[in-house]
Order: sequence, then structure tokens, then C-alpha cells
Amino acid sequence: MKKNRVWWLSIPEFLAEIQSYNQIVGITEIARRYFVMNAFDGILTTIGVLAGNYLAGVRDLSIPIRIGIATSIAMGISGLWGAYLTETAERQRELSELEKVSLIDQRETSIGRASRFAVIIVSIVDGLAPALAALIVLTPLFLDSVIQNPVLSYALAGGTALVSLFVLGLFLGKISEANLIGFGMKTLMAGIVAIAINFLLGAE
Amino acid sequence: MTFGNLRRMVLDVLKPLEPDIVDLARKIATLSGVDGVNITIYEIDHHVENAKITVEGEQLSFQELKDLIVENGGAVHSIDEVAAGKRTVEEVETHQD
Repeated sequence: MKKNRVWWLSIPEFLAEIQSYNQIVGITEIARRYFVMNAFDGILTTIGVLAGNYLAGVRDLSIPIRIGIATSIAMGISGLWGAYLTETAERQRELSELEKVSLIDQRETSIGRASRFAVIIVSIVDGLAPALAALIVLTPLFLDSVIQNPVLSYALAGGTALVSLFVLGLFLGKISEANLIGFGMKTLMAGIVAIAINFLLGAE
Repeated sequence: MTFGNLRRMVLDVLKPLEPDIVDLARKIATLSGVDGVNITIYEIDHHVENAKITVEGEQLSFQELKDLIVENGGAVHSIDEVAAGKRTVEEVETHQD
């Protein structure tokens, strides 16, 4: 009989098991949704950090870098914890519903294991997406020793954020098999609106 | 005491919608002694479906088949037909039928 734990399996068996889990729970779709939502959050939050520091007259870039990294860690932890708790509750509810109608304890079946696996994968994606997105946006600030112009570094970081938002929109467009540029423009607009409001409120 | 080899089993199974019958049939086909499998759905509910699983082979193991179904979230409600021995004997129609 087939072994019951994925860590006892060979690599091809493990991959087949993962594929089967994905088919049962639809992990790819859930993870993709979380990835886009939270990467979007990460980019916009970092735009806020950058705009705030720029408008406050901070030209020592080690400050926004530290704030940005701290914020990305906090967003990562928030994503990880939030997704873990939400997905655990959601999976548990679905499993309980299935147990009620099937009158079978599903915890140790492939469905129960697929549910637990989905929680782990989705939590990791949800934790990494905002943190990585934030770090990508901060990249020009890390390169300040090369750029040697804080205002230009801020501008490049803002540009990176807008490009990242546009790419995220293209990704959404690809998923929906609809208008790629249209989706790209919609996500890009969010960044432009965030920057515009920050500058309007921050203008002296 | 020795037992003859099982050649055909027809099971009435209640199973979750996922894994679907394509996946389940392919898994059953990999069990030792199985030559072929047929799964027919005769009722679908919100989360579960009722399936008639017909398995044929030279040397079937009911325990392995049952374990696989349970492992995939299903339950065997009844064994509706069994054939065992040197050859497969079909159901015979009688006057009562």
C-alpha cells in the first residue's frame, strides 16, 4: 500500500503527490491570488514609505532603507500569520463540511493532507510576496553609492514601483486572458494616485 | 485455509468530488493485480458523488482497493458484485429476474 507521508516518498512520487494536492485544493489559484494581492500591497506601502521620507526632507537614504526593510519584514510576518490563520480556518471549514456529508474522518486522507499542504504554501507565498515586492522597489536606494544622488534614487525607486505595478497588472491580464495593457494601466494608476495624494498632502 | 483469487469487484462508493474519477481510476489502475477499472457516477451532490467502481484483474486485493478509496476520502457503501476463481462467471438470468 502507498505510504501515507509525503516525506517518505521518492522525488517523482513526491512531485506526483504535490500535483495531486494541487488538483484537490487548487493551491496554484489560491497562491496566485494571494501573491498578486500582497505584492500589490507591498509595492504601495513602499511607495508610502518613499514618499513620506522624500517629503519629510530625508536625504540620508539609510533611513528610508531601514524603514523600508522593517516595513517589508512586518508585511512578510503579517502575510505569513494572516494567511496561515485565515487559510487554516477556511480549510478546516471545508473539511468539516465534507466530513458532515461524507460521514468520513477526512483528516488523514489525501484531502486532509492536501488542505494542510495548501495552508503552508499559501502562507509562505503570502509572506514572501509583499516583502520581496518591497525589497525590489527599494533596490535603487541600495544602489545609492553608485547613483550618488538621493533625489534621483527616490525617483528611480518610484519608477521601479510603477514598473512593478505595471508588470503585476500584466500578470493579472495574462491570468484573465483579457487586455494585458488595460490591466497594467489599472494597477499603474493605483501607484500614480498614491504618489499624487502623498505629494498633494505633503506639499508645503 | 486458502482463498481463491478475486477477478471482479463492483463497489458502490461515496466519494468527494476531488480527487475526480479520472485521478481515482488511474490510481486504482496502478494497484497490483488490476487489469482494468471502470468508474461510473450515478449521483452528484454538493460536495460528494456516488460512484460504481468496477475492477477486474487476475488477482485483486479488496483490502488494497478499499485502502486506496479511503485514502482518497471515499467510503465503500456496499460490495455489489464479486467474481472469484479460475475464470470470471457472469451473473445468470433466472426466471425470478
